[in-house]
Amino acid sequence: MDETLEIDTVVRHPKKNRKKKKQPVTWRLIKNQNQLIWMSVPLMLYIILFAYVPVWGWTMAFQNYKPAKSFGEQEWVGLKQFKFLFTDDNFIRVLRNTLAMGLINLILGFVTAIVLALLLNEIKKVFWKRTVQTISYLPHFLSWIIVTGIVATSLSINDGIVNIVLMKLHLIKEPILWLSEGKYFWGIVGASHVWKEVGWNTIIYLAAIASIDPALYEAAEIDGANRYKKMMFVTLPGIKATIVILMIMSIGHVLEAGFEVQYLLGNGLVVDWAETIDIFVLKYGLAQGNYSLATAGGIFKTVVSVTLLLMANGISKRLGEERLL
Amino acid sequence: MGGKSKAMYKVSLIVLLSLSFALSGCGGNNNNTAGKAEETAAAGTASANTEGKIEPFNVSVFIGAAGQQPTPDNKIYKKIKEETGATFDMEFLAGDINQKLGVMIAGQDYPDLMTGNTKLTAAGAYIPLEDLIEEYAPNLKAHYADYWNMMKDPNDGHIYILPNYGVYNGKVNSSWYSGPAFWIQKAVLKEFNYPQVKTLDQYFDLIEQYKAKYPKIDGSPTIGFEILNYDWKNWGLFNAPQHLIGHPNDGGVVVNDGVAEIFADKDYAKQYYQKLNEINQKGLIDKETFVQNYDQYMAKLSSGTVLGMFDQHWNFNAAEDSLTTQGKIERTYVGLPLVYDESTKDYYRDLAVLNLNNGFGISINAKNAVQIIKLLDTLIQEDWQKTFSWGVEGEDYIVENGRFMRTQEQRDNAADATWQLANKAKAMFDYLPKTEGSFSDGNSTDAAAQPEEYKAGLKPFDKEVLDAYGYDSYVDFFSEPPANPVYYPAWSIDLIEGSDAKIASTKLNELQTKFLPKAILADPADFDSVWTDYTGQIQKANVKAYEDKINEQIKWRIENWSK
Repeated sequence: MDETLEIDTVVRHPKKNRKKKKQPVTWRLIKNQNQLIWMSVPLMLYIILFAYVPVWGWTMAFQNYKPAKSFGEQEWVGLKQFKFLFTDDNFIRVLRNTLAMGLINLILGFVTAIVLALLLNEIKKVFWKRTVQTISYLPHFLSWIIVTGIVATSLSINDGIVNIVLMKLHLIKEPILWLSEGKYFWGIVGASHVWKEVGWNTIIYLAAIASIDPALYEAAEIDGANRYKKMMFVTLPGIKATIVILMIMSIGHVLEAGFEVQYLLGNGLVVDWAETIDIFVLKYGLAQGNYSLATAGGIFKTVVSVTLLLMANGISKRLGEERLL
Repeated sequence: MGGKSKAMYKVSLIVLLSLSFALSGCGGNNNNTAGKAEETAAAGTASANTEGKIEPFNVSVFIGAAGQQPTPDNKIYKKIKEETGATFDMEFLAGDINQKLGVMIAGQDYPDLMTGNTKLTAAGAYIPLEDLIEEYAPNLKAHYADYWNMMKDPNDGHIYILPNYGVYNGKVNSSWYSGPAFWIQKAVLKEFNYPQVKTLDQYFDLIEQYKAKYPKIDGSPTIGFEILNYDWKNWGLFNAPQHLIGHPNDGGVVVNDGVAEIFADKDYAKQYYQKLNEINQKGLIDKETFVQNYDQYMAKLSSGTVLGMFDQHWNFNAAEDSLTTQGKIERTYVGLPLVYDESTKDYYRDLAVLNLNNGFGISINAKNAVQIIKLLDTLIQEDWQKTFSWGVEGEDYIVENGRFMRTQEQRDNAADATWQLANKAKAMFDYLPKTEGSFSDGNSTDAAAQPEEYKAGLKPFDKEVLDAYGYDSYVDFFSEPPANPVYYPAWSIDLIEGSDAKIASTKLNELQTKFLPKAILADPADFDSVWTDYTGQIQKANVKAYEDKINEQIKWRIENWSK
């Protein structure tokens, strides 16, 4: 009984504090906390230097930027770069591809990682659990250039493992040239992402699952829940907070659908489905020495990403869920 | 508590201090201007070494290609150090050249000597060289005398870069053709008793017959024709039509009487792609050809199952080396200068041209520009050139009756990459100004091109092929190149970063990559509609800006380059 009482007070204490009025900032307070303030200074400087100072570079988007000229010598062109970006015939197509592949990666990534985490959690033999986990997260450490090499080789019509397996299973009559059809491309990109990242993404969910109170499982068992029900009503709600926070953060990255995969796997036949904003910016910006256009593309992506992030956060707040900000 | 907070103070102070040091380190001294170069040039004169006394100095070098550091006791670099005092501190490219240059330009962080590159020229990274050469480098001046005007930057008329290739002297022996051609396996020619192949139709006929006769090579299905269209290595798909009508490689345009126009949408281009469409229907083109990357392409060539392709020799050289190592000499390739009809004279082979995107320029950060130009001036002299290309007499080559030769052992050494790192100054020599053709004593500047050497190195099968055609080397399959037109080649014209011309050329490239594979793989009945769609898109792409820029520069070159 004593124990519960103590926990009670510990838990309630902060709530009481919160109800109090905000502590006024006084010299005494600053003096008391001066170690904390000093400790935060290096971090503040770090953030200012590496997160805010670079924003100055955004001015490039409104110039006809030429390297090796000083700021004063640059030619200012207003919104010309943005106009080029938005009026180009390809832009809509490129934006569509980026969004589509971003969403596919996002959704597939979430679903598979959560499912794998749930399944791994059900494995009772530690040896098997470890083995599966290790095998599934190792591809994370391969670079995309290697992964696309593996993907291209396994999708090949000569001795590509995918075609061989499908043929042996009599699912297809003759080998399919996977990389030549636009309709397959998004799927291939999504699948490659899953293969590479699923194990890695699982780790955080496994950690969240580990923190669920075992008493809840016992209670559920006493109430007659089977494995499946325990998964549905104990494990999943237990990691809901983690899922929502990660979801909000990933939504901010939807436009980061990738560059390497599409660039390395894309070819003339699938270009209409493969080109992303990053590739477009590379082609018409960096490769042409037009750094201003590249910056404009970057700004566009940032603005959209921040908007999406805030929207997701807002929706989450309305629904009474966890949120980031 | 007091002690603790004092310790905290100290710790945070240290953190702050170290951070501020780090920050002050970041503020670059970016005020390097041409003025500084002049200053150092003057200083260089003062300290220039006097007769007989060799002052050691160090030159930092950026090489714009991947490579390996020579061994520390490399024979040739040692010799350079002993006789001129110069040591090189070489940095090789790792990763993407444009990215690397971007970083260099942004930080104004240049070594003394840098690979020639128009991006660096545009960023003002080189010092003008004409006065330095005039004053300190009589040998270089003589070396480049005929090419002086061509070396000038089209934008401001200064000379920034000393090109490494394209300056000829004496008789030009050449035994290796590195350029574009339709390539065919030697085995195919042997099978049909070494026929003369002149036209595209004859070429595909041979391939078709051979494939029908031998559906498998070494257990794998025979591939009739391969087209590589990957990233920037896209000429395998784009460039053939200009050659088929008897024009040299001008990149994306065909030039008639000094007037350039793109050929991507012309009828003679259509004729080629329609032919490809036709042979694709016969199953002669590799199904995977348009989805493969360079590695896959090379793997296929190295397997010996590919009968033919259109490519530049240097691009698939490594695959041939692999075939040779496997002992499959009959699967290596002969380059054929195909044309549409036999009355057209082929013009595949050209005289190498001056390339300002190569060679060396001296950067504005170089402290001893005069010393460097003097060094380069020394190294262009004939005895040094011999040392670079042939090596040390008695060790790397022998002289018989005034002719340079190698023993078999020396020949094997020269081909051994590990040996080269210790005994050749390959990395530097590739980029240094060099004599090409023949030395004053008649020996070839390129050991491999010395006729005696070439013959001695031939494999028996190659002898058989060459004898059957009555040729001395595979280069003889091509017509002797005429003197280059003044403007030649149009592909080296700088379109200016970010200009309308450059955007148009990127667009054109994109359309070709997208539509040509579609047209080739289409049902023959749909070919025309795909083609119409394609040419329609090209018309929308402001090609005129591209053509105008090329024509403007051709005109400029004709005016300024003519002697």
